[in-house]
Amino acid sequence: MTAADLKSEVSAALVERLTALADDELVLGHRNAEWTGHAPILEEDIAIANVAQDEIGHAVLWYGLVQELTGQDPDRLAFFRGANEYRSSALVELPRGDWAFTMLRQYLFDTYEAELLPRLMRSAYTPVSEVAAKVNREELFHLRHSALWVERLAFGTEESKSRLQSALNELWPLVPQLLAPLEGDALLAADGIYPDPAELAAAVLGRLRTELNRLELTLPALPAPPAAGARSDRGEGHLAALLAEMQSVARADPAAESW
Amino acid sequence: MSAAEKPLTGADTQWPRWEVLKKDSERKPHQAVGSVHAADAVHALLMARTVFARRPAAVSMWVAPAASIHAFTAEELTQVPAHSEAEGGELSRYLVVVKSTNRRSMTFGDLKGEVEASSVRAALDLALELAGEEPVLALWLVEAGSVVRSEPDDADPWFGPAQDKTYKQQSVYSSRATASKDAAEGVPR
Repeated sequence: MTAADLKSEVSAALVERLTALADDELVLGHRNAEWTGHAPILEEDIAIANVAQDEIGHAVLWYGLVQELTGQDPDRLAFFRGANEYRSSALVELPRGDWAFTMLRQYLFDTYEAELLPRLMRSAYTPVSEVAAKVNREELFHLRHSALWVERLAFGTEESKSRLQSALNELWPLVPQLLAPLEGDALLAADGIYPDPAELAAAVLGRLRTELNRLELTLPALPAPPAAGARSDRGEGHLAALLAEMQSVARADPAAESW
Repeated sequence: MSAAEKPLTGADTQWPRWEVLKKDSERKPHQAVGSVHAADAVHALLMARTVFARRPAAVSMWVAPAASIHAFTAEELTQVPAHSEAEGGELSRYLVVVKSTNRRSMTFGDLKGEVEASSVRAALDLALELAGEEPVLALWLVEAGSVVRSEPDDADPWFGPAQDKTYKQQSVYSSRATASKDAAEGVPR
């Protein structure tokens, strides 16, 4: 299935979903990039910058699929939309916190992608299955890295465990929003373009619960699943602050050809 | 106590050092490319992939704690005492890594093979035999049991993506001095 085969309402739903995928990657990539020059050791500084660059690269791939459907330029989407037009989830928007917070967030996101991407690789829409295969390859290494850190912090010292638990207390309640369906997802699922959101959410939560219990962490209660499309809720203003910084250079001279 | 087990003290805040051996292609030997600091062996392997194989080609990567490597310079090799048959105990295996030229800047030695001996001194004789006629500018005996290796299944996710990416030298990017010229000539960024 290619762009020409999509009915207009399916195409619109796909643009929404692709935008959410791309925005999550871009915002998380930017948060990770904030560690550049500040990570605990030189090797981890390089590692987190690599992960950041990969995530931003994945955002470019997903924005590229939006461009195929709408003609919108990925740079315009990244640098000239306001916070209210972004479809990222609160999990990736929160400030980077300490190393435990950053690694746990990355781990939660990597685990979500480890379930999502193999499903997207079976998408009936060929461009999605091709991008998913490319992204999945790099994500396997991300998950090895973030899982390594979460395990070592969990079984490290009292301080490392308490920092990890604090991070989990803040991040775990945000996982349902990351997994919440967008309004058009049911349409996409019916055509085999995107997985059934409920089945995906159950798989991610099941995997995370098993793993986090093995690490002897305490899972706080989950809030009720948010309504479809809940990603548009922009309460805290973290995203607006992030975008103000990220977009400042591009917006200083929108017509610049070379910078 | 190995370096990996040594507790950190106030004077030494670095994690232990690990030497990295990278194999660029199936036709090449593993080559010593540099070191990383890491908390443990698996961490060292992930750091090695990050630091040494993000862009350049690789098919396999090994790490060994620096403390498990017996290193000899060419000068030291002329001064080792004669081998005594009486010394030594149980047989141990060692990887032999030899630096035979000063002309390469990114690698510091090639894996020549493995030897089994009852002492480092005895292993050294076997290693020099293995090196053959080549000049030996430096030689490592790496305790084989301490080496941690990437798995064959790791090769694609760890090293595959780099093959689809362009490695650009710094000089490829425009500087302020060249940007307007490049733009005028339509040179892509």
